[in-house]
Amino acid sequence: MMLQPVRRPLGPLKSLLRRNRQAQQFVARSMATETTPTETAASSIPPPISTLAAAKKPTKFHVIPSKTPGKPIRTAFAVYAPPPSARAAHPNPLISYHAQQIRRLDRTGARTALFSKKNPDAAKPGDVLQVTTNRGEPFAGVCLSIKRAGVDTAILLRNHLTKVGVEMWYKIYSPNVLGIEIIWRRPKRARRARLYFMRKPRHDMGNVEHLVEAWRRSRNVFSSNKGRGTQGKGKGKGGKGSK
Amino acid sequence: MAPRLPAGWAASLSSLPSTNVLTTRVLLTERHALLPRTAKRGVKYGWSTLPSRQRPARFNQVNSGLPAPTAGPAAALKRKEATTPLRTGVLATKKGVSAMFIGGLRTACTILQMEQVEVVAAKTRAKNGYWAVQLGLGHKNAGNVTAPLLGYYEAKGVAPKRHLSEFKVRTEEGLLPVGVQLQPDWFKLGQFVDARSNSRGMGFAGGMKRHNFAGQGASHGNSKNHRTIGTTGPSQGGGSRVHPGKKMPGRMGNERVTVQNLRVLKVDNEMGIVVVSGHVAGPKGCVVKISDAIKKDPRPRPSSTRPGGS
Repeated sequence: MMLQPVRRPLGPLKSLLRRNRQAQQFVARSMATETTPTETAASSIPPPISTLAAAKKPTKFHVIPSKTPGKPIRTAFAVYAPPPSARAAHPNPLISYHAQQIRRLDRTGARTALFSKKNPDAAKPGDVLQVTTNRGEPFAGVCLSIKRAGVDTAILLRNHLTKVGVEMWYKIYSPNVLGIEIIWRRPKRARRARLYFMRKPRHDMGNVEHLVEAWRRSRNVFSSNKGRGTQGKGKGKGGKGSK
Repeated sequence: MAPRLPAGWAASLSSLPSTNVLTTRVLLTERHALLPRTAKRGVKYGWSTLPSRQRPARFNQVNSGLPAPTAGPAAALKRKEATTPLRTGVLATKKGVSAMFIGGLRTACTILQMEQVEVVAAKTRAKNGYWAVQLGLGHKNAGNVTAPLLGYYEAKGVAPKRHLSEFKVRTEEGLLPVGVQLQPDWFKLGQFVDARSNSRGMGFAGGMKRHNFAGQGASHGNSKNHRTIGTTGPSQGGGSRVHPGKKMPGRMGNERVTVQNLRVLKVDNEMGIVVVSGHVAGPKGCVVKISDAIKKDPRPRPSSTRPGGS
């Protein structure tokens, strides 16, 4: 002890400086703990939705009890409030997304009603449908399946063109699809949702051109009658729910 | 209290010639009498005999007149500068896959939800060696968080998060203040992003599924080896060993997959969703890191910014 000042003449000064430095560190740390971003720092940044003023105060203290009562530990931690949860408000945003997109693409709701399960007059697998697109001839065929996937809902139509089986998928909400019409209804409800057995020669409907022709003739009959023409178009055999 | 002296100091004192008390005291004040006898500096331990606090820590400094080093932290940062985005990315959860009709064109899209995405910390060049923003996703009950992490969140002033992740940024300008919440409108409609996530885990898979091996014939005398991988290495001429990295059956999937240059088709702050074109790896509910595209100008193109729908 006696030798110390001789060996380290600046000893007391250094220890003072060190103490001062520690005090500075402590101040800095506690500032970091308490500080919240200022307005100037966040000027170019989107404004925080979680109100920082509210986030400043801890909403509760989480207490951890000590397992050994004789040895207390640091038991409480401040817990801050989380920002509002988008997930709690919209637990399944996919459903909202589908609804939003369908509203945009099918403003009248006719296309949705045509394939709705709640609609007893809806198109069902086994019916013959005709799809008019914005390019080429309309395609008619028996509906083998309806893939229900919100705005991505699609139908599979099968027909025979030049004695070759042809199947086409159509997205029912696609802007390219101008109209879907029911040409012919299956007399009895199909007892399967997917009529893939109709690809087998034994069950294949073959060409549906004669059904389309009959439907067109029936429409022409109505349209030639001037008084009932406009009504008949809508209420005709297959005219329901087009467009 | 005096600092502790080396163990043999008393012995060295006793061996000193003790003519009288005065000389003993003088000798005691000499530096070498109290210094440890093991050499700490000199030719044997490095050429510089400067005290350690004056010696430069590294020799290949820029200010020493030598060319800038091509390896090391500074060089690595410089090298990665072009591929480090200016802004931070965000964390999101994959909610599902659907389609969007843009014009007459159907585009497959992935719906990602940003749930309580907050800035938790900023990593700096001075302290951590790089610039990065640490983000948190979701919420965790305090009872399910360990005490050290509770202290961390307390110090940051944010609620405990379900997931934490860092996003490197190019410069200090990319950093964000702690506690700021990021919303889907962090991304502009029509801009390009990269999506990083872990792919769906397939479990232990064979060579045919995992590496697209051809398998073996169904017949021609094949016996119980239809999907096995066959031989794994050359014969005696080739060393009779299996080369490192040989593709074999094993755990498949659940590895980081980056899908680049996805277009942002829709952002919705109210639902908290970001809709990006194409597909993102991983099952529904997995955590996805979305960030500005690094291989393409991330800004939206005038031709491609068609209204994605509202």
